[in-house]
Amino acid sequence: MFMDSEPRFEDITCGLESTARAPGAMITETREAIALARRFNEAVVRPYALELDRHMQEDPNYLPWDFVKEANRWGLYTLFIPKIFGGKGVNLPALSYFLEELASACTAMSNLVGVHYLGVATLTASWNIRLMNRLMRDTAEGERTGNPCLISLAITEPGAGTDVEDVELVSRAKVSCQAEKVDGGYVVNGSKIFISNGHLSTWHALICYEDLERPHETTVMLAVKTGDKGFSFGRQENKMGQKGCPASELIFEDCFVPDENVCFDRYYIERFTRASRKNKRSVEDYTMQVIDYVLSASRAGVAAFGAGVARGAYEEALEFAQETEVEGKLLINHEWAQCLLAEMYTNVSLSRLSYSETNYANGLYGMFKVLQWKPFFYYLKYVPSSIIDRFIAPLLDMDFVTWLFRKLYFDWQKDEEYQRTSGWASLAKFTSTDYGVRNSQLALEMMGRAGMRHDGRAEKHLRDSKLLQIYEGTNQLNRQNLFKCLIGRTIPAARMFEE
Amino acid sequence: MKTTVSDELKMLEEMAGDFAAKELLEDREENDKYPFGPLFEGVLTKAHDVGFFSIMLPEEMGGAADAVNAVCLVLDEVCRADASLGGIIFTNARAQEMVARAGEVEVLKKIAANAAGYAGLLIAFPSFNNPGEIENVAMVERSKDKYILSGDIEYVVLGGIADSALLPAKVKGEEGYSLFLVNLKGDGLDIGEPVLSLGLHSCPAVDMSLSDVEGKLVGQEGKGGDYFEAAVDRLSVAAAAMAAGVIKGSFVEALDYTKERVQGGREIVNWSEVRMLLSSMAVKGKVADILVDRASRSVDCGEPGWQLDSRAAALHVQEMAADATTDGIQLLGGNGYMKDYGQEKRFRDAKQIQALMGLTPMRKLKYIKRIVDGELPW
Amino acid sequence: MFDRILQSTLMEKDPKFEDIMCSLLSVGKMPRGLIKEAEEGMALGRRFNEAVVRPYSLELDRKMQEDPTYLPWDLVEEINRWGFYTGWIPKLFGGKGWSFSAMSPFIEEVASECLGIANLLGVQYFGLSFLFVSWNTRLIDMICREVIEGERTGKPCLISGAITEPDAGTDVEEVELLSKARVKCYAEKVKGGYVVNGNKIFISNGHLSTWHMLIAYDDLERPEESMIMLAVKNGIKGFSFGRMEKKMGQKGCPASELVFEDCFIPDEYVCISRDDVKDVRRGIKEANMQLIDFVVSMTRPGVGAMGTGVARGAYREALEFAQETEVEGKLLINHEWAQCMLAEMYKNVALARLSYMECGYVNALHGMTKMMNVKPVYYYNKYLPTSVFDKFMPASNKRESTTKLFRKLIMDGQTEEEACRASGWASLSKFAATDFGIRNCHLAIELMGQAGIRHDHRVEKFLRDSKLLQIYEGTNQLNRLNLFKCLIGPSIPEAEVFND
Repeated sequence: MFMDSEPRFEDITCGLESTARAPGAMITETREAIALARRFNEAVVRPYALELDRHMQEDPNYLPWDFVKEANRWGLYTLFIPKIFGGKGVNLPALSYFLEELASACTAMSNLVGVHYLGVATLTASWNIRLMNRLMRDTAEGERTGNPCLISLAITEPGAGTDVEDVELVSRAKVSCQAEKVDGGYVVNGSKIFISNGHLSTWHALICYEDLERPHETTVMLAVKTGDKGFSFGRQENKMGQKGCPASELIFEDCFVPDENVCFDRYYIERFTRASRKNKRSVEDYTMQVIDYVLSASRAGVAAFGAGVARGAYEEALEFAQETEVEGKLLINHEWAQCLLAEMYTNVSLSRLSYSETNYANGLYGMFKVLQWKPFFYYLKYVPSSIIDRFIAPLLDMDFVTWLFRKLYFDWQKDEEYQRTSGWASLAKFTSTDYGVRNSQLALEMMGRAGMRHDGRAEKHLRDSKLLQIYEGTNQLNRQNLFKCLIGRTIPAARMFEE
Repeated sequence: MKTTVSDELKMLEEMAGDFAAKELLEDREENDKYPFGPLFEGVLTKAHDVGFFSIMLPEEMGGAADAVNAVCLVLDEVCRADASLGGIIFTNARAQEMVARAGEVEVLKKIAANAAGYAGLLIAFPSFNNPGEIENVAMVERSKDKYILSGDIEYVVLGGIADSALLPAKVKGEEGYSLFLVNLKGDGLDIGEPVLSLGLHSCPAVDMSLSDVEGKLVGQEGKGGDYFEAAVDRLSVAAAAMAAGVIKGSFVEALDYTKERVQGGREIVNWSEVRMLLSSMAVKGKVADILVDRASRSVDCGEPGWQLDSRAAALHVQEMAADATTDGIQLLGGNGYMKDYGQEKRFRDAKQIQALMGLTPMRKLKYIKRIVDGELPW
Repeated sequence: MFDRILQSTLMEKDPKFEDIMCSLLSVGKMPRGLIKEAEEGMALGRRFNEAVVRPYSLELDRKMQEDPTYLPWDLVEEINRWGFYTGWIPKLFGGKGWSFSAMSPFIEEVASECLGIANLLGVQYFGLSFLFVSWNTRLIDMICREVIEGERTGKPCLISGAITEPDAGTDVEEVELLSKARVKCYAEKVKGGYVVNGNKIFISNGHLSTWHMLIAYDDLERPEESMIMLAVKNGIKGFSFGRMEKKMGQKGCPASELVFEDCFIPDEYVCISRDDVKDVRRGIKEANMQLIDFVVSMTRPGVGAMGTGVARGAYREALEFAQETEVEGKLLINHEWAQCMLAEMYKNVALARLSYMECGYVNALHGMTKMMNVKPVYYYNKYLPTSVFDKFMPASNKRESTTKLFRKLIMDGQTEEEACRASGWASLSKFAATDFGIRNCHLAIELMGQAGIRHDHRVEKFLRDSKLLQIYEGTNQLNRLNLFKCLIGPSIPEAEVFND
């Protein structure tokens, strides 16, 4: 009875519940993933990060294909794809630690790898298993042949940035990317901007709208391939930081997308909701649930970037302090510098704790939950890929399987559960990215002139970190989402986005 | 700043505002590309012609009465549009001021008289470092009545542009350092490429190596630190003025954008959290304005405690600028991050401005030391 | 995935996996019973809040403002009746043996209603922690059983930790500082015991306690090597109470002066002295630091929990106010800026909590009580009734050999790295959570305006209460330096702490 009042136990003990329940082998996998990331940093990222940033300053239209090919060679684009979809199946919470590690050396390069998993997460949120399987196996094929096949998410439009991240705002948004239902598929017209990795991706999970007057009720997710007729790339933005990761414009002019590449649309949801007896949710609700699944996973990733850049800035400051004398004494032995470094260390730790907690929440209540169910986890871990590919994978084409996963993830996720994952993801996102910017600023204050130099690495962290406060929902929107999911939900009088 | 002090200053302020609007705003993105694009030499020539690089000189050479107030007015207006020019004005003013503090006004007069264009007038100087904190000095040897400098000096601002530089050097084994004027077009100098940096791109700094370069002693031997700190006393408020200009520019652009951009079904200026951020920026801009105005006049009039006025203004306004420009980007959303808009440059410039004159935490410690040692806090 | 040797080299670099992954490393190792226990701890706290704390906290604070010398005996008796003074005493010593992982959530709950009362309750374990790190099982057993008796008879037996002196506050928490400190509490070795002269100040719960774990020094020139812990009982000749401080907040919990004038303490009440740490691996000064670290590694996360609690209390009051109050004709809770502010406050609470929970994991894996969480020990301890323990433990506890065994095991069984990890994380949680605590109080008052400054709306009291958290248990500045010393400095040979 007491445990009914706020804060709810389940809201605040995801870590605790997980430590007692999650499979222990996750620890080893995580350790290995981090070690791999460190090796990659040492061999590829650190030697090349400054050069890429500098190159981009000279030529803002450069595309870092050689980096992408290198990452592809290292197998990074299939590392976290589950084995049933042809990947190497490292556990998904480990992705965050992996991305933190990369981001501590270069946020842009961490994005070049991480954004692919954002695309993967977007596809996954549709729970169209057949399509997911096909596209992810394309990525695996791309690894085998040496022609990287990346997946990206295309949602932001010129007239709708913050507006696309929440269903209530979408309903009033001025969206322009229209998908017209035709025989055999959809025809898409419109454009998308600021799409990370756009120019470098093969598959694009495109969010568009059938009825531009009622976008929240007519959302369509399509899988569009680079090279499809009617689809082309436009400009590449000239960003202050994270320069190595292109922010692309995607242009659709009467682009036809066949039915087999429809991830989900309202007709599918309507069929699904009619079939289920408890018809509590509307199309709008299901759409929001899809978006929440994506955001709950992706925002944890951005939080990992935040923790990473916070750490990178801290490490640069620490190194500078060890080597530089100020007023005749090593900076690291000035008491004020020790306190400042402790503050920066804490900022990194708190960031990491926040995204870890989000991952635990996702593992218990969100996208990762099936994968972390012990029997499933160990089965997938120890059964060889060849057997999975031969016997399990073909099952994924079955309608039944898609239906099952959708039931599991849509109907069987309580409101409370997706509020929890979504709220925590927002919390981690704005917390870690604010700390990322903060640590970068503190590092520069400590390093003075040495910090201003490009070759000092520190100023790049500041430029890179600022974008983290903006994309994946501005930090203001994320605060509002936290309010919506974890505070306002028990307050009948609370209204969102009103005024 | 709406100055009411004198007509001369009012005119200067207006002129600077016009200059900024006409000459700096339009090509701001292009000008910021340096070193990957050309240096804005046209702008520099015009700035030289209207006297921006002469403000701290003696009046007979084109300087202003109430020089500190004047340079602050100019810096505020200029930095709203492009702080790189502000960085050049500031660095040059620092160098000129140190020469003046060393009692070598004749030297300044000679430079001014002989200068054909801006390169002849400008004096390069490592304006981001305090040699007393972190040694970034050359070594100097006395040879008969000449001074021979050798060694490496990092981050000499304007070193790739100006004809002469004011450089710190010390005699091996001795305490303290001295200041020397060096002809950058002479022999023995290995001047590097502009150091790619966070902000103030068109106010470039270079690393340089000196090999038996002759230097002219400025002031007395070993007194470099005194002249440095004296100039910092006078011109800290000018760094504050730069930061104030950046805040103001950032606010205006943010306000304009939020009145246009529609999200959530209305202009975003009508969301209260957006207004909260705007309010915070506006207040910072206002406080900076009042502070710089008061402190700069205090310096010119020699009010009791003027040195602390000047330094406190710098410390506080620079910090406000770092915070305000972060919000300045935020209010433009994704666009704020892109070079097509002016906010990201202001963010970078604000942080770089904070690094002028030495490590910020050390400046804070120096500030309190003066009070602990007996200066009145107000 | 790839070669082990390369992996271990890579993983040796900072940040080390073991430093940052304690919650993950606990995966699979922690007994599942911990979940339930944390929940029970929270529920218990909420019950206590509803019945006792919330109804009384404002009144107590008001009373203390009127009469700063008032001692809240009725409250202490109530807490005693609820069994909280023996709850976390291990069954080994006759207590109820509640899990330590339940303590912090419980403290957070009580702190979310009143820090003063949380302190009245929590300081018992602060005092006990001093006693425990001495591992003098005979004295621990004796004193614990008196506490238990006190619960049975309704006459509370509280224990205080007496370490702070007028000229040595920050200085007593760190052996480097101690070596330059001006401590005055002198314990002169005489035949059969020690004679103590000096005084202690700011001792929480002093006037309310029966036993006082006194830290004194038998050589004032070298205090870092001559630390001695004595168990002093009320009524002993030469020991008296002095003033009670007039604090800005946490008024309900007295901060007392203890005065020692030629106070003779017999040998049997020496918990631990330098003779006792001769046998351990480390030198005396380092061993003393390890003892201090044992204490603070356990108590500082507790202060972190208190910071979390007050952060939460402030948030809760602000939220309630926002739901009920219209501003410009609209409920405050529907103003966008207020929603963002409340989200910020919520986040502060969440981060504060994550920090002390992580300490829980760190202590479970590396701290003084790590063996308690090993699954067999845990379940054995949980399910075996106290009565069974009582049959065997008292006798064995009295033996000198038991003490010696535990001391060696515990002190030598913890590596330097583990000690650093536990101490560093405790400091992190302490300063981070308490900074969040006061921050939320500021934000709440900003949100509530005129209502926020009224006593009867609670938040102004929270602000007054929260400030002390940044000061005791080591100031937040000291705690930052300790974090540096423990988690940053060790891999940097040139780094020196406390040498400005």
